[in-house]
Formats: sequence, C-alpha cells, structure tokens
Amino acid sequence: MWPFDLVNWVGLTVPLAYLFILVSSLAAFSSFYRKRQAAKATSLQPWFPPNLQRDIYLSLLHMENPKVPDGVLKAALMRRATEDLNRMMQVQQAKQPLQGLLQRNSVGNDLFQRLQHAEHETQTDIRDVMQEANAFTPGWGNFIFQSANEMAHNKQTREKLAEFNNTRASEKEWWDQRKATIQSDFMKELDDEKSEAASAPAAKPAAKIGSDDDAVIVESGGPAEKAGKSKKKKGKN
Amino acid sequence: MAVPAQSPDTFTLLPLQMDSATKAVSATGTTNKALDAELQALNTLHRAILSADVPAGTPPPPIPVNPKRGAQITKLREAANTDFRKGNHTQAVRLYSLAIDMALGRPFWEPAGLVREEVSVLLAARAQAHMGMQEWAEAAVDAEASVEMRKVGNPKAWWRRGKCLVEMQRLEEAEAWVEHALEFEGTEADLLKLKAEIEGLKASKK
Repeated sequence: MWPFDLVNWVGLTVPLAYLFILVSSLAAFSSFYRKRQAAKATSLQPWFPPNLQRDIYLSLLHMENPKVPDGVLKAALMRRATEDLNRMMQVQQAKQPLQGLLQRNSVGNDLFQRLQHAEHETQTDIRDVMQEANAFTPGWGNFIFQSANEMAHNKQTREKLAEFNNTRASEKEWWDQRKATIQSDFMKELDDEKSEAASAPAAKPAAKIGSDDDAVIVESGGPAEKAGKSKKKKGKN
Repeated sequence: MAVPAQSPDTFTLLPLQMDSATKAVSATGTTNKALDAELQALNTLHRAILSADVPAGTPPPPIPVNPKRGAQITKLREAANTDFRKGNHTQAVRLYSLAIDMALGRPFWEPAGLVREEVSVLLAARAQAHMGMQEWAEAAVDAEASVEMRKVGNPKAWWRRGKCLVEMQRLEEAEAWVEHALEFEGTEADLLKLKAEIEGLKASKK
C-alpha cells in the first residue's frame, strides 16, 4: 500500500515511545495528585459534628421490621430540615468574618476549606430534604423550610418565656419577704410611737431618730441588692 | 485521628427501634444523651402532627393559619376582660393564664410572630389583673415578659412594669426601666408622667 511503504517504522518508534511515555506519565501524575487532594479533603476535620437528624431519618427509612409509618418519617424529615437550616445559618454567619481573616492571613486555608466543605455538604442535604419531602406530598418541598424556620423561632420564644416563669417564683418570694419587713417596721414604728407617748417626753427625740434610721437602712438595702440581681439577668439575655 | 467528613451517599446506621403500638422511636443498646434527646424531640413533634389533625399528616405551610385556635383565644381573652372589669381579678388571671397556655400550645410550625403577638397582649393583660390585686411581683414579671415578646407598640406593658417597680420601692430599677422604655415609646404621656413621679419620689427620699 502506498502511504505505509514510505514510512520508516524503525525510525518512528523513538518519537512514538517519547509521546507514549510523556502522556502516560502526565496521566499517572494527574490521577495520583487528585487522589491525594481528595484524601486531604476528607482527612480535614469536619466543621460540624455528625448530622444526627439525618442519620436518624435515614436509619428509620431503612428499618424493615416493622416498617416505620410515614408520620414518623415526616416528623424526622422536619427535624432534619430544622437542623439543616440551623447549619446553613451558622455557615453564613461564619463565612464573612472568616474571609476577612483569610485575606489578612490570620487563619490558614484549611479552616476556610473546612467551612466551604460544610457549606457544600449542607446545600446537598437541603436539596435532598426537598426531594424527600416532595416524594411524601407533592409540593411539600417548597415550604418545608418555611415550616422549619418557624419551628426554630417558636422554640426560641418558648424557651424565653420559660425563663420568665423561673424568675417569677424568686421575685414573688423576694417581694413577700420585703413586704413582711415593711409591715413589721411599720408595726414597730407604731409601737414605738405608742410607748413614746406613754413614757417621759425627755426620752422622745433620741428614740425617734434611732427608729427612723433603722427604717431607712432596711429600705435602701433591698432595692440595691435587687438592682444588682436584675442587671445580671439582663446580661444573660 | 480525624473523623472523616460525611459523604452525601453514606450515613451512620443508628440502633433504633419503634414501639409498634405508640409509634414512639427509641434507641437500643448503649445510651447516648444527644440521641435520646433528639428522639424525644422527634416523638413530641410526631405527636403534635398527629394531634393537629392536618390533611395527609403533612404539616401545612405556616400561612394561612387555622383560625380555630385564634378564635378560642380571643373568646377566652374577652371573658377574662369582662371579669377584670367586674373586679373579679382572680378569675381574670386564671382565664388569661388559660389563654396564654392555649397560645403557646399552637403547633410548632405556625408563625412564631403570631404567637409572640398574642402572648404579649395576654401577658400585659394578666399583669394588669395582678396589679388589680396588688401582686406587684407577679405583675412586674408578666409585664417584662410581655415587653420581651414585643418591644415596639407595647407601651402599656412598659408602663406597668415601671409602675410595679415603683410600688415595690425599687426606684433605681424603675428609673432605668422607664429610661429604656422611652427609647421605644418616647412620646407616651403615661411613661413621661411615671418618669416625673419617680424623680419626685427620689428627690423626696434624699
């Protein structure tokens, strides 16, 4: 055949071998490098602890004997959505400051990679939850995260109110004691006045001043101590 | 050493079991506090969904809200208001408390803003009823909680706590509270009057 007769096969082996070695070494390096990168990424400490809600949902989904009813699965899915939302919020809050720190070289690149990995992971899980929700009830995926958001807010509201319920008892106790002191002081003053009226008028001024001072000291003691306590309360909130 | 990051295709199979009668999920084997707490929250949510009686057992979107509970709360509040006007303060406090429990018993997926709104109004009203019985401590806590639920547009609750603090002779606290209140409700005449009253009391003490 015409073209092949003219080719010098022996002379061509050298460049061919060169090309082969070049390409295969590049390929080997690329695959080796990628594997190492992937290994490094997975060996990074994860940003979040294991997603308990996700594990519970999937464990329930895979339970065979007895099969878990849809109701429980839906509840588990909502818990998972709430957790995803929570994580997403944390990631977004951390991202901006971390970027700033990274630009100033205050933190290593590792930390930022961990955050990006967490963000990606959470986004994947959010898509997953939406798909699962749509599989249960068509259209649920569109608003499951709205519901999850309200659930998180509702939890906060109730926790705050529970805190007030706790202070109620101590406040009442304080006021009852305070009231008793005021009353006893008042009674003492009345008694003093009575006894003073009965006794000689010469002893009157000294005794009167003494009892008045007592009352003032007790009165100013209570609120000051109370004010300190309430400041602490405000700081906690 | 390091825990490997979670891959989207895998999960940790947890040792779970379900009571076939109550449908309550629990963990088997070794006890794990976080897992137990989470499962408890899950069971609570499941029961809430069941008792809410929603179509297909899927929690509906936050809006629109089922008007039934709101109507019941309004009814309770009006009954309590009537009792309060009649001077039957104990009964009014009881009814307000019932209404508050009802508002807090709303399903978790319903708007939290709505719950805060309802509860703030009810707490302010209960504070007023407590004040009617001269129970300043309870009234002060209720008013503070009401303000916590809604800071803006809630001048009565601000005023009530201030008044209760004055009645309990905690003047320093009352002054700070009213100052804070005026940041939100600067034009409220009652609060300005209360501020003047506190200043007068403090001056007379000195």
